Amino acid sequence: MINKKILLLLSLIFLLSGCWDKRELNELAITMALGIDQSDDGYKVSAQVVVPSELSSKGGAGHSQIVLFQATGKTLDDALRKLTKESPRLIYPGHLQMLVFGESLAKEGIGKALDFISRNWEVRADFYLVVAKDSTAEEILNVQTPLENMPSNSMFNTLQKATVNNSTTTGIKLVDFIGDLERKGNEPVLTGIIITGDKKSGSNKQNLDSISPSARIKYDGLAIFKEDKLIGWLDEYDTRGYNGITNQVKRAVSTVACPEEGEVNLEIQNYQAKLKSKTVNSSPKLEIKIEVTANVGAVECFIDLRKEETITELEKTFENQIKENIHHTIKTVQNDFNSDVFGFGATIYQQDPKEWKKIQDNWEEEFPNLKVNVDVNVKIEHVGAIDNSFLQNMKD
Amino acid sequence: MTSITKKTGASNDTSSSNEKISLKTNLQDNLQYIKNTLGESSDIITREIRIGQEGTIKAGIIYTDGLSDATSLQNFILETLMLDLKETQLEENLTTTTDLMDTLKDFAMTVGEIKDVTNYDDLFTSLISGDAIFLVDGYSKGFIIGNKRWAERGVTEPTAQTVVRGPREGFSENLRINTALIRRIIKDPNLWMESRVIGRRSKTNIAIMYIKDVADDAVLEELRTRLDRIDIDGILESGYIEELIQDSKYSLFPTVYNTERPDSTAASLLEGRIAILIDGTPFVLVIPALFTHFFQSTEDYYQRTEIASLIRLLRFVSFGIAMLAPSLYIAAITFHHEMLPPALLISLAAQRESVPFPAFIEVMIMEIAFEILREAGLRMPRAIGSAMSIVGGFVIGTAAVEAGIISAAMVIVVSITAIASFISPTYDLSIAGRMMRFVFIALAATFGLYGVTIGLIALVLHLCSLSSFGVSYMAPLSPFIASDQKDVFIRAPIWKMIKRPSFISKNSIRQQYEAPKSSKDTQE
Repeated sequence: MINKKILLLLSLIFLLSGCWDKRELNELAITMALGIDQSDDGYKVSAQVVVPSELSSKGGAGHSQIVLFQATGKTLDDALRKLTKESPRLIYPGHLQMLVFGESLAKEGIGKALDFISRNWEVRADFYLVVAKDSTAEEILNVQTPLENMPSNSMFNTLQKATVNNSTTTGIKLVDFIGDLERKGNEPVLTGIIITGDKKSGSNKQNLDSISPSARIKYDGLAIFKEDKLIGWLDEYDTRGYNGITNQVKRAVSTVACPEEGEVNLEIQNYQAKLKSKTVNSSPKLEIKIEVTANVGAVECFIDLRKEETITELEKTFENQIKENIHHTIKTVQNDFNSDVFGFGATIYQQDPKEWKKIQDNWEEEFPNLKVNVDVNVKIEHVGAIDNSFLQNMKD
Repeated sequence: MTSITKKTGASNDTSSSNEKISLKTNLQDNLQYIKNTLGESSDIITREIRIGQEGTIKAGIIYTDGLSDATSLQNFILETLMLDLKETQLEENLTTTTDLMDTLKDFAMTVGEIKDVTNYDDLFTSLISGDAIFLVDGYSKGFIIGNKRWAERGVTEPTAQTVVRGPREGFSENLRINTALIRRIIKDPNLWMESRVIGRRSKTNIAIMYIKDVADDAVLEELRTRLDRIDIDGILESGYIEELIQDSKYSLFPTVYNTERPDSTAASLLEGRIAILIDGTPFVLVIPALFTHFFQSTEDYYQRTEIASLIRLLRFVSFGIAMLAPSLYIAAITFHHEMLPPALLISLAAQRESVPFPAFIEVMIMEIAFEILREAGLRMPRAIGSAMSIVGGFVIGTAAVEAGIISAAMVIVVSITAIASFISPTYDLSIAGRMMRFVFIALAATFGLYGVTIGLIALVLHLCSLSSFGVSYMAPLSPFIASDQKDVFIRAPIWKMIKRPSFISKNSIRQQYEAPKSSKDTQE
């Protein structure tokens, strides 16, 4: 009995240590987006923090729903710590959705910053990394966006939708980026983000008062990295090629020229790209096998879709178009950047490790001269609710 | 069986039975002694009469007003002795006979139940239980005339356990009515009943009912020992017996089941459980009572198996919600913000913006306010009920949120918790969940989810350590008995439950019936 009482009293000791890491919701500055720029003495951090009272169902006072806190420091940790001098609440990055790097910092290298971010236990690994093209991260985070009540939400959802429904962008999350960075024979890429319109008025809430906001942010291009340093940008056409090679096309629309004049739109339903490495005459060679199924989305010319030959011809044209696109992308990357963002080296390493061992030290020299063979097979399955375009009948 | 009754009867009366005071020969002495002992209580009626030719024989009738049937006493005893006997052969015999008492008993007492009494202890017990006492001058012996009749509530619909489909009768306060209600459902000669009188002063009648070849003898023997151990002045409700015979002294979880439904009791008896009926309460105790037993409602077996199974699952989920919802909410918003989706976190943060208290204080305010409301609703006069619901609903629900003292999300959490705790078919288990809730809230507020997990582990350990009359409390989940899973989380079709729960009854075959067949099947 006495033992039991003592045990009971001792168990109260645990309560003494309780609550030490408790944080009430209204003591947190929920940071949804973080911008990192280069400053004279290190980093400049911009934290986009939610103002919960403005988001409550009661409506709030009509002020901005987000606020940007900024600080500079020698290291990222230091800069984030200094934010407490400005912010009344502790910065809580657990729900971070967007991490934006300024272009100048990306050129210097983002590895050190990422080490801190990925080491921090509070941060999830499922936010998107983007690079502010031709601007600073601070400027990107200074723009109010329509539809979603927070710019970070808007940026996150836009990129998520675009990745799935459009083959000209691709969303890269922290885990993907670090994975690409670490893997042998593979260099990372990041999505580019730009501001269009008047950069200065974007921060104002009046930006949203107009039907067409004067400042907008949108995704554009793909940042090519060599290790952790930005070395250049791919345009939309080559981004599509990049997605095609790395098998990241999910649903997309392509325009194919008709035999005579006009165009046909094809909606890609299923896209499968496989990389295969082969050694021919003791030099490595890659083969990309692509299987595509597509539907006819729109016909703006006079072709007879009821005939099998027409479909076969369309398929042929599309195959060539894809092939051309991919070759162009590979050539651009090989010649202009010499950075193996496609993971060709990693493919050789996986499929032919002996060969990789021989060339890995010279991969820098080997990559620009790597021969890549592209084999595309397109299958058009459906033509939609009508067969031949009524445009034809209109003419008759 | 009778030997047992006698034995216990004796053991209960030990204090007074050492020297039983015999009746006196003189009628006046007897009457005076009775009056003195009962303090001349005004509800004790004594009536002196004279019978025999010329009224030579003096006799007395004593009964308790309100407990005895005065009308039948007048019609069948007084009228017979004083009027019908006049100028009959029997009247002559009375004065000449050698044994007046036997003659009276054999020829004149026109009642069914009659017993001899020779000592005051038996006399008083019978008198106060409602029987009438007949004494004759010159004899140190009297009769107990079975003549009980008092005002009582009839068989009404149970209020604590209501059903949509099923019998509407419930137990009442009268032990005899209650045993009859069970006998009417199970007409099996093996349905045995043992009676006992417990309570030195209240002398409460108690009946143990079981089906001889189905109930487990070990459990029965254990129950007898535990009942015999009881030495108390009064038993006012089955709760007294429950607390005195339960296995664990300080567990929040009930190990004795109680019900006011005869069909539920009958179902338990058929499974091999034992019922304890107590005079004076409509609540019948059933043992052994296991954890899963408290999630079963009689209606589960009257409704179709599919819906019964879904509702059974719903009860388990609701028990979890009632016990854990506030603590999980606290843990999520004070420790584990990363667990919530961003949109939800921001929405909750927006609601909490104006709340001046930590979440723990907030939830305690709401929970305690709710408990006060609930208790007030139970205890106060019904006429004030509407006033309370207005004040409670308005003040707590609306005003507290509007004033920014409590966040709307917290009101939702507390309300869901409250509603979930009402779904339990047995009040006892929902009480256990209700009390555990506060333990979990404290754990969540100090350690977060880690604390809740530790608490859950401790709870499961505790539950597994419990037993009810030698049967593991968590059976058939722990120890796991695969064949008995048909009536735990789901309620299997009745034609599939061909065996009784093996942990309750050793006599396992309940029925031989196989799956129902249509005429089509039999043709093939």
